[in-house]
Amino acid sequence: MERKALSTLIEGALMIAIATILSFIKPYQAPFGGSVTLGSMVPILLYSMRNGAAKGILAGVAYGLLQLVIEPYIVHPVQVILDYPLAFGLLGLSGLFGKRIVAGVTVGILGRFLSHFLSGVIFFESNAPEGMNVLFYSAAYNGSYLLPELVISLLAVRFVFYRFICRDRDRSFSN
Amino acid sequence: MREITIGQYIPGNSAIHRLDPRTKILITFAFMILLFVIDDFTGYVFPVAFIIAASILSGISVRYMVRGLRPLLVIILLTFILNLFLIKGRVIYEIGPLSITYEGLYQGTFMVLRLVLLIVGTSLLTLTTSPITLTDGIESLLKPFSKIGVPAHELAMMMTIALRFIPTLMEETDKIMKAQMARGADFSSGNIIKRAKSVVPILVPLFISAFRRADELAMAMESRCYRGGENRTRMKKLQMTWEDLAAFIATGVLAAGCLASRFLW
Repeated sequence: MERKALSTLIEGALMIAIATILSFIKPYQAPFGGSVTLGSMVPILLYSMRNGAAKGILAGVAYGLLQLVIEPYIVHPVQVILDYPLAFGLLGLSGLFGKRIVAGVTVGILGRFLSHFLSGVIFFESNAPEGMNVLFYSAAYNGSYLLPELVISLLAVRFVFYRFICRDRDRSFSN
Repeated sequence: MREITIGQYIPGNSAIHRLDPRTKILITFAFMILLFVIDDFTGYVFPVAFIIAASILSGISVRYMVRGLRPLLVIILLTFILNLFLIKGRVIYEIGPLSITYEGLYQGTFMVLRLVLLIVGTSLLTLTTSPITLTDGIESLLKPFSKIGVPAHELAMMMTIALRFIPTLMEETDKIMKAQMARGADFSSGNIIKRAKSVVPILVPLFISAFRRADELAMAMESRCYRGGENRTRMKKLQMTWEDLAAFIATGVLAAGCLASRFLW
Protein backbone atom coordinates (compact mmCIF):
# COMPACT_ATOMS: atom_id res chain seq x y z
CA MET A 1 0.00 0.00 0.00
CA GLU A 2 1.31 3.40 -0.92
CA ARG A 3 2.36 5.66 1.91
CA LYS A 4 -0.04 8.41 0.99
CA ALA A 5 -2.96 6.00 0.77
CA LEU A 6 -2.04 4.46 4.10
CA SER A 7 -1.77 7.81 5.78
CA THR A 8 -5.19 8.77 4.37
CA LEU A 9 -6.65 5.51 5.66
CA ILE A 10 -5.30 6.15 9.14
CA GLU A 11 -6.45 9.74 9.05
CA GLY A 12 -9.92 8.33 8.36
CA ALA A 13 -9.59 5.99 11.32
CA LEU A 14 -8.62 8.82 13.65
CA MET A 15 -11.46 10.98 12.33
CA ILE A 16 -13.81 8.10 13.13
CA ALA A 17 -12.31 7.94 16.62
CA ILE A 18 -12.92 11.67 17.16
CA ALA A 19 -16.42 11.36 15.72
CA THR A 20 -17.14 8.53 18.14
CA ILE A 21 -15.87 10.55 21.08
CA LEU A 22 -18.00 13.53 20.01
CA SER A 23 -21.01 11.24 19.64
CA PHE A 24 -20.78 10.43 23.35
CA ILE A 25 -21.48 14.08 24.16
CA LYS A 26 -25.20 14.51 23.72
CA PRO A 27 -26.80 17.82 24.65
CA TYR A 28 -30.10 16.37 23.44
CA GLN A 29 -31.13 12.73 23.13
CA ALA A 30 -34.16 12.02 20.96
CA PRO A 31 -36.40 9.19 22.13
CA PHE A 32 -35.66 6.66 19.37
CA GLY A 33 -31.91 6.68 19.27
CA GLY A 34 -31.28 9.86 17.33
CA SER A 35 -29.50 12.62 19.15
CA VAL A 36 -28.02 16.04 18.77
CA THR A 37 -24.32 15.68 19.47
CA LEU A 38 -21.43 18.06 19.65
CA GLY A 39 -21.03 17.99 15.87
CA SER A 40 -20.10 14.32 15.73
CA MET A 41 -20.48 14.33 11.95
CA VAL A 42 -17.91 17.07 11.45
CA PRO A 43 -14.85 14.76 11.36
CA ILE A 44 -16.42 12.55 8.69
CA LEU A 45 -17.62 15.54 6.64
CA LEU A 46 -14.21 17.13 6.92
CA TYR A 47 -12.46 13.92 5.92
CA SER A 48 -14.71 13.56 2.86
CA MET A 49 -14.07 17.12 1.78
CA ARG A 50 -10.33 16.64 2.19
CA ASN A 51 -10.09 13.30 0.45
CA GLY A 52 -13.04 13.04 -1.87
CA ALA A 53 -16.37 11.27 -1.81
CA ALA A 54 -15.16 7.69 -2.36
CA LYS A 55 -12.85 7.72 0.64
CA GLY A 56 -15.41 9.70 2.59
CA ILE A 57 -18.10 7.10 1.98
CA LEU A 58 -15.74 4.34 3.08
CA ALA A 59 -14.93 6.18 6.30
CA GLY A 60 -18.62 6.90 6.82
CA VAL A 61 -19.51 3.23 6.45
CA ALA A 62 -16.74 2.29 8.89
CA TYR A 63 -18.02 4.91 11.33
CA GLY A 64 -21.58 3.61 10.96
CA LEU A 65 -20.49 0.03 11.56
CA LEU A 66 -18.52 1.16 14.60
CA GLN A 67 -21.58 2.92 15.99
CA LEU A 68 -23.48 -0.30 15.40
CA VAL A 69 -20.86 -2.31 17.25
CA ILE A 70 -20.60 0.14 20.15
CA GLU A 71 -24.11 1.44 20.67
CA PRO A 72 -26.56 -0.61 18.67
CA TYR A 73 -30.16 0.45 18.39
CA ILE A 74 -31.79 -2.37 16.53
CA VAL A 75 -35.51 -2.67 15.92
CA HIS A 76 -35.75 -4.13 12.43
CA PRO A 77 -33.42 -6.10 10.10
CA VAL A 78 -33.61 -3.56 7.28
CA GLN A 79 -33.37 -0.66 9.70
CA VAL A 80 -29.93 -1.90 10.81
CA ILE A 81 -28.50 -1.42 7.33
CA LEU A 82 -30.26 1.87 6.66
CA ASP A 83 -29.53 3.48 10.03
CA TYR A 84 -25.90 2.51 10.32
CA PRO A 85 -23.60 1.75 7.38
CA LEU A 86 -25.78 3.43 4.76
CA ALA A 87 -26.81 6.54 6.69
CA PHE A 88 -23.29 7.36 7.78
CA GLY A 89 -21.80 6.27 4.46
CA LEU A 90 -23.94 8.84 2.68
CA LEU A 91 -22.26 11.55 4.74
CA GLY A 92 -19.32 10.94 2.42
CA LEU A 93 -21.29 12.56 -0.40
CA SER A 94 -20.09 15.85 1.02
CA GLY A 95 -16.80 15.08 -0.72
CA LEU A 96 -18.41 15.66 -4.11
CA PHE A 97 -18.40 19.41 -3.71
CA GLY A 98 -14.78 20.19 -3.09
CA LYS A 99 -14.45 23.39 -1.13
CA ARG A 100 -18.08 24.39 -1.52
CA ILE A 101 -18.74 23.58 2.09
CA VAL A 102 -22.33 24.70 2.43
CA ALA A 103 -23.34 22.43 -0.45
CA GLY A 104 -21.09 19.61 0.79
CA VAL A 105 -22.25 19.59 4.39
CA THR A 106 -25.90 20.01 3.42
CA VAL A 107 -25.88 17.22 0.86
CA GLY A 108 -23.97 14.87 3.18
CA ILE A 109 -26.39 15.37 6.02
CA LEU A 110 -29.34 15.27 3.64
CA GLY A 111 -28.09 11.85 2.53
CA ARG A 112 -28.01 10.70 6.11
CA PHE A 113 -31.47 12.14 6.69
CA LEU A 114 -32.93 10.28 3.70
CA SER A 115 -31.53 7.00 4.94
CA HIS A 116 -32.92 7.47 8.45
CA PHE A 117 -36.19 8.70 6.96
CA LEU A 118 -36.59 5.56 4.87
CA SER A 119 -35.68 3.42 7.84
CA GLY A 120 -38.33 5.15 9.95
CA VAL A 121 -40.94 4.58 7.26
CA ILE A 122 -40.06 0.90 7.02
CA PHE A 123 -40.12 0.48 10.77
CA PHE A 124 -43.52 2.11 11.19
CA GLU A 125 -44.96 0.28 8.20
CA SER A 126 -44.19 -3.01 9.92
CA ASN A 127 -45.05 -1.99 13.49
CA ALA A 128 -47.76 0.62 13.48
CA PRO A 129 -51.34 0.15 12.38
CA GLU A 130 -52.49 1.25 8.95
CA GLY A 131 -53.64 4.75 8.26
CA MET A 132 -50.92 6.61 10.11
CA ASN A 133 -49.14 9.41 8.37
CA VAL A 134 -45.85 7.54 8.46
CA LEU A 135 -44.01 9.79 6.03
CA PHE A 136 -44.71 12.87 8.05
CA TYR A 137 -43.73 11.35 11.40
CA SER A 138 -40.51 9.91 10.12
CA ALA A 139 -39.49 13.17 8.49
CA ALA A 140 -40.42 15.20 11.56
CA TYR A 141 -38.67 12.86 13.96
CA ASN A 142 -35.44 12.58 12.02
CA GLY A 143 -35.47 16.23 11.16
CA SER A 144 -35.84 17.13 14.83
CA TYR A 145 -32.28 16.11 15.64
CA LEU A 146 -30.60 16.32 12.23
CA LEU A 147 -31.59 19.93 11.62
CA PRO A 148 -29.76 21.22 14.73
CA GLU A 149 -26.87 18.92 13.81
CA LEU A 150 -26.81 20.45 10.33
CA VAL A 151 -26.58 23.94 11.79
CA ILE A 152 -23.83 22.91 14.22
CA SER A 153 -21.89 21.13 11.47
CA LEU A 154 -22.20 24.04 9.04
CA LEU A 155 -20.99 26.54 11.60
CA ALA A 156 -18.15 24.28 12.73
CA VAL A 157 -16.93 23.46 9.24
CA ARG A 158 -17.25 27.00 7.95
CA PHE A 159 -15.78 28.93 10.87
CA VAL A 160 -13.52 26.48 12.63
CA PHE A 161 -12.27 23.81 10.29
CA TYR A 162 -12.29 25.52 6.91
CA ARG A 163 -8.51 25.68 6.78
CA PHE A 164 -8.22 21.92 7.11
CA ILE A 165 -10.08 21.34 3.87
CA CYS A 166 -7.28 22.87 1.87
CA ARG A 167 -5.21 19.75 2.16
CA ASP A 168 -1.52 19.98 3.05
CA ARG A 169 -1.91 23.39 4.54
CA ASP A 170 -2.46 21.72 7.88
CA ARG A 171 1.03 20.28 7.68
CA SER A 172 2.32 23.73 8.47
CA PHE A 173 0.38 23.59 11.70
CA SER A 174 1.88 20.36 12.75
CA ASN A 175 5.16 21.51 14.16
CA MET B 1 -15.55 12.49 29.99
CA ARG B 2 -13.48 9.90 31.77
CA GLU B 3 -14.27 6.31 32.43
CA ILE B 4 -16.53 5.69 29.49
CA THR B 5 -16.47 2.03 28.70
CA ILE B 6 -16.77 1.58 24.99
CA GLY B 7 -19.47 -0.82 23.96
CA GLN B 8 -21.58 -3.02 26.15
CA TYR B 9 -19.28 -6.00 26.29
CA ILE B 10 -19.20 -7.97 29.52
CA PRO B 11 -16.08 -10.15 29.61
CA GLY B 12 -16.60 -13.81 30.29
CA ASN B 13 -15.72 -17.28 29.17
CA SER B 14 -19.11 -18.86 28.63
CA ALA B 15 -20.03 -21.05 25.69
CA ILE B 16 -21.67 -18.01 24.06
CA HIS B 17 -18.61 -15.81 24.68
CA ARG B 18 -16.40 -18.44 23.07
CA LEU B 19 -18.42 -18.71 19.88
CA ASP B 20 -16.80 -17.41 16.73
CA PRO B 21 -17.93 -13.80 16.10
CA ARG B 22 -18.97 -14.77 12.58
CA THR B 23 -21.27 -17.43 14.00
CA LYS B 24 -22.81 -14.94 16.37
CA ILE B 25 -23.31 -12.24 13.74
CA LEU B 26 -24.88 -14.67 11.27
CA ILE B 27 -27.13 -16.23 13.89
CA THR B 28 -28.22 -12.82 15.18
CA PHE B 29 -29.14 -11.77 11.68
CA ALA B 30 -31.02 -15.02 11.05
CA PHE B 31 -32.79 -14.58 14.39
CA MET B 32 -33.92 -11.07 13.45
CA ILE B 33 -35.34 -12.20 10.15
CA LEU B 34 -37.02 -15.27 11.67
CA LEU B 35 -38.83 -13.04 14.16
CA PHE B 36 -40.56 -11.42 11.22
CA VAL B 37 -41.61 -14.78 9.82
CA ILE B 38 -43.71 -15.55 12.89
CA ASP B 39 -47.32 -14.49 12.55
CA ASP B 40 -49.03 -15.62 15.75
CA PHE B 41 -48.27 -16.03 19.42
CA THR B 42 -47.61 -19.76 19.36
CA GLY B 43 -44.69 -19.16 17.02
CA TYR B 44 -42.93 -17.13 19.72
CA VAL B 45 -42.35 -20.32 21.70
CA PHE B 46 -39.24 -20.98 19.61
CA PRO B 47 -37.41 -17.64 19.80
CA VAL B 48 -38.30 -17.32 23.48
CA ALA B 49 -36.84 -20.75 24.21
CA PHE B 50 -33.81 -19.89 22.06
CA ILE B 51 -33.16 -16.64 23.90
CA ILE B 52 -33.63 -18.19 27.33
CA ALA B 53 -31.22 -21.00 26.48
CA ALA B 54 -28.65 -18.57 25.07
CA SER B 55 -28.95 -16.26 28.09
CA ILE B 56 -28.47 -19.10 30.54
CA LEU B 57 -25.47 -20.35 28.59
CA SER B 58 -23.96 -16.86 28.40
CA GLY B 59 -24.08 -16.43 32.19
CA ILE B 60 -25.08 -12.80 31.78
CA SER B 61 -27.53 -11.59 34.39
CA VAL B 62 -31.01 -10.59 33.31
CA ARG B 63 -30.31 -7.17 34.78
CA TYR B 64 -27.97 -6.27 31.92
CA MET B 65 -30.44 -7.36 29.30
CA VAL B 66 -33.24 -5.37 30.88
CA ARG B 67 -30.91 -2.40 30.99
CA GLY B 68 -30.53 -2.75 27.22
CA LEU B 69 -34.29 -2.31 26.88
CA ARG B 70 -34.37 0.95 28.75
CA PRO B 71 -33.29 3.32 25.94
CA LEU B 72 -35.89 1.70 23.71
CA LEU B 73 -38.72 1.96 26.21
CA VAL B 74 -40.28 4.89 24.39
CA ILE B 75 -40.48 3.10 21.08
CA ILE B 76 -41.84 -0.04 22.76
CA LEU B 77 -44.54 1.92 24.57
CA LEU B 78 -45.38 3.94 21.47
CA THR B 79 -45.75 0.80 19.40
CA PHE B 80 -48.07 -0.66 22.02
CA ILE B 81 -50.20 2.45 22.42
CA LEU B 82 -50.55 3.10 18.69
CA ASN B 83 -51.69 -0.43 18.07
CA LEU B 84 -53.91 -0.45 21.13
CA PHE B 85 -55.93 2.60 20.15
CA LEU B 86 -55.78 2.78 16.38
CA ILE B 87 -56.86 -0.70 15.40
CA LYS B 88 -60.58 -1.01 14.84
CA GLY B 89 -62.49 -4.01 16.06
CA ARG B 90 -64.44 -5.31 19.04
CA VAL B 91 -64.35 -2.63 21.73
CA ILE B 92 -63.29 -3.71 25.20
CA TYR B 93 -63.00 -0.38 26.93
CA GLU B 94 -63.57 3.25 26.09
CA ILE B 95 -61.71 6.31 27.36
CA GLY B 96 -63.38 9.39 25.95
CA PRO B 97 -62.95 9.39 22.20
CA LEU B 98 -60.42 6.56 22.32
CA SER B 99 -61.37 2.95 22.41
CA ILE B 100 -59.33 -0.12 23.17
CA THR B 101 -60.23 -3.02 20.99
CA TYR B 102 -59.59 -6.70 21.35
CA GLU B 103 -57.71 -6.71 18.06
CA GLY B 104 -55.65 -3.71 19.14
CA LEU B 105 -54.65 -5.38 22.38
CA TYR B 106 -53.71 -8.53 20.52
CA GLN B 107 -51.73 -6.73 17.83
CA GLY B 108 -50.04 -4.39 20.32
CA THR B 109 -48.87 -7.21 22.54
CA PHE B 110 -47.71 -9.16 19.51
CA MET B 111 -45.62 -6.27 18.19
CA VAL B 112 -44.16 -5.44 21.58
CA LEU B 113 -43.12 -9.03 22.15
CA ARG B 114 -41.38 -9.04 18.78
CA LEU B 115 -39.55 -5.81 19.55
CA VAL B 116 -38.45 -7.02 22.98
CA LEU B 117 -37.18 -10.31 21.55
CA LEU B 118 -35.36 -8.42 18.80
CA ILE B 119 -33.66 -6.10 21.25
CA VAL B 120 -32.74 -8.79 23.76
CA GLY B 121 -31.49 -11.07 20.97
CA THR B 122 -29.25 -8.44 19.44
CA SER B 123 -27.99 -7.16 22.77
CA LEU B 124 -26.91 -10.69 23.60
CA LEU B 125 -24.49 -10.34 20.69
CA THR B 126 -22.93 -7.10 21.89
CA LEU B 127 -22.92 -8.22 25.53
CA THR B 128 -20.89 -11.33 24.77
CA THR B 129 -18.61 -10.06 21.99
CA SER B 130 -16.09 -7.25 22.32
CA PRO B 131 -16.16 -4.50 19.67
CA ILE B 132 -12.78 -5.55 18.35
CA THR B 133 -13.85 -9.18 17.95
CA LEU B 134 -17.01 -8.03 16.22
CA THR B 135 -14.89 -5.98 13.84
CA ASP B 136 -12.79 -9.05 13.05
CA GLY B 137 -15.99 -10.95 12.40
CA ILE B 138 -17.32 -8.24 10.10
CA GLU B 139 -14.07 -8.20 8.14
CA SER B 140 -14.10 -11.94 7.72
CA LEU B 141 -17.75 -11.98 6.64
CA LEU B 142 -17.19 -9.17 4.13
CA LYS B 143 -14.07 -10.77 2.68
CA PRO B 144 -15.89 -12.76 -0.04
CA PHE B 145 -17.33 -9.46 -1.31
CA SER B 146 -13.90 -7.92 -1.80
CA LYS B 147 -13.93 -9.58 -5.23
CA ILE B 148 -16.74 -7.24 -6.26
CA GLY B 149 -14.95 -4.23 -4.85
CA VAL B 150 -15.97 -4.10 -1.20
CA PRO B 151 -12.84 -2.91 0.62
CA ALA B 152 -13.36 -5.28 3.55
CA HIS B 153 -9.85 -5.01 4.91
CA GLU B 154 -9.66 -1.22 4.75
CA LEU B 155 -13.05 -0.95 6.43
CA ALA B 156 -12.04 -3.22 9.28
CA MET B 157 -8.62 -1.61 9.57
CA MET B 158 -10.21 1.80 10.03
CA MET B 159 -12.59 0.44 12.66
CA THR B 160 -9.78 -1.33 14.49
CA ILE B 161 -7.50 1.71 14.55
CA ALA B 162 -10.42 3.91 15.58
CA LEU B 163 -11.26 1.58 18.46
CA ARG B 164 -7.65 1.49 19.53
CA PHE B 165 -7.35 5.27 19.49
CA ILE B 166 -10.63 6.28 21.10
CA PRO B 167 -9.16 6.02 24.63
CA THR B 168 -5.91 7.67 23.51
CA LEU B 169 -7.69 10.60 21.92
CA MET B 170 -9.96 10.95 24.94
CA GLU B 171 -6.91 11.23 27.13
CA GLU B 172 -5.49 13.74 24.71
CA THR B 173 -8.71 15.78 24.83
CA ASP B 174 -8.38 15.81 28.58
CA LYS B 175 -4.80 17.03 28.37
CA ILE B 176 -5.72 19.78 25.92
CA MET B 177 -8.58 20.85 28.18
CA LYS B 178 -6.24 21.10 31.14
CA ALA B 179 -3.66 22.99 29.09
CA GLN B 180 -6.29 25.49 27.97
CA MET B 181 -7.62 25.81 31.50
CA ALA B 182 -4.09 26.60 32.68
CA ARG B 183 -4.17 29.42 30.14
CA GLY B 184 -7.38 30.69 31.66
CA ALA B 185 -9.98 28.99 29.47
CA ASP B 186 -13.40 28.60 31.02
CA PHE B 187 -15.51 25.66 29.87
CA SER B 188 -18.23 25.53 32.45
CA SER B 189 -19.91 28.92 32.59
CA GLY B 190 -21.85 31.17 30.27
CA ASN B 191 -24.76 30.54 27.95
CA ILE B 192 -24.95 27.82 25.34
CA ILE B 193 -23.28 29.88 22.58
CA LYS B 194 -20.43 30.83 24.85
CA ARG B 195 -19.93 27.24 25.86
CA ALA B 196 -20.02 26.02 22.28
CA LYS B 197 -17.37 28.60 21.42
CA SER B 198 -15.23 27.44 24.32
CA VAL B 199 -15.02 23.99 22.70
CA VAL B 200 -13.18 25.39 19.67
CA PRO B 201 -9.76 25.68 21.41
CA ILE B 202 -10.08 22.00 22.32
CA LEU B 203 -11.18 20.66 18.97
CA VAL B 204 -8.67 22.45 16.77
CA PRO B 205 -5.57 21.06 18.53
CA LEU B 206 -7.26 17.67 18.69
CA PHE B 207 -7.72 17.59 14.92
CA ILE B 208 -4.23 18.86 14.23
CA SER B 209 -2.70 16.24 16.46
CA ALA B 210 -4.86 13.58 14.80
CA PHE B 211 -3.56 14.58 11.36
CA ARG B 212 -0.01 14.46 12.60
CA ARG B 213 -0.55 11.17 14.34
CA ALA B 214 -1.94 9.71 11.11
CA ASP B 215 1.32 10.52 9.34
CA GLU B 216 3.42 9.08 12.12
CA LEU B 217 1.37 5.94 12.38
CA ALA B 218 1.52 5.47 8.61
CA MET B 219 5.30 5.68 8.79
CA ALA B 220 5.45 3.26 11.69
CA MET B 221 3.22 0.76 9.92
CA GLU B 222 5.14 1.08 6.70
CA SER B 223 8.45 0.47 8.47
CA ARG B 224 6.92 -2.73 9.79
CA CYS B 225 6.09 -3.71 6.24
CA TYR B 226 2.34 -3.21 6.35
CA ARG B 227 1.13 -3.58 2.80
CA GLY B 228 -2.63 -3.73 3.01
CA GLY B 229 -4.84 -6.74 3.52
CA GLU B 230 -3.48 -9.06 0.91
CA ASN B 231 -1.65 -12.10 2.26
CA ARG B 232 -1.73 -10.64 5.71
CA THR B 233 -1.66 -13.23 8.47
CA ARG B 234 -3.17 -12.93 11.92
CA MET B 235 -1.94 -13.72 15.37
CA LYS B 236 -5.38 -14.81 16.52
CA LYS B 237 -7.05 -16.62 13.70
CA LEU B 238 -10.80 -16.99 13.82
CA GLN B 239 -11.60 -20.65 14.16
CA MET B 240 -14.93 -22.39 14.20
CA THR B 241 -15.31 -25.31 16.60
CA TRP B 242 -17.94 -27.91 17.40
CA GLU B 243 -19.59 -25.30 19.62
CA ASP B 244 -20.24 -23.17 16.56
CA LEU B 245 -21.67 -26.19 14.80
CA ALA B 246 -23.97 -26.79 17.77
CA ALA B 247 -25.05 -23.15 17.65
CA PHE B 248 -25.87 -23.43 13.94
CA ILE B 249 -27.86 -26.61 14.55
CA ALA B 250 -29.82 -24.88 17.32
CA THR B 251 -30.53 -22.01 14.92
CA GLY B 252 -31.64 -24.54 12.31
CA VAL B 253 -34.15 -25.93 14.80
CA LEU B 254 -35.31 -22.38 15.56
CA ALA B 255 -35.73 -21.66 11.86
CA ALA B 256 -37.68 -24.88 11.31
CA GLY B 257 -39.92 -24.06 14.24
CA CYS B 258 -40.62 -20.51 13.10
CA LEU B 259 -41.31 -21.57 9.52
CA ALA B 260 -43.53 -24.43 10.66
CA SER B 261 -45.51 -22.11 12.93
CA ARG B 262 -46.22 -19.86 9.99
CA PHE B 263 -46.86 -22.25 7.16
CA LEU B 264 -48.01 -25.52 8.74
CA TRP B 265 -50.13 -24.65 11.76
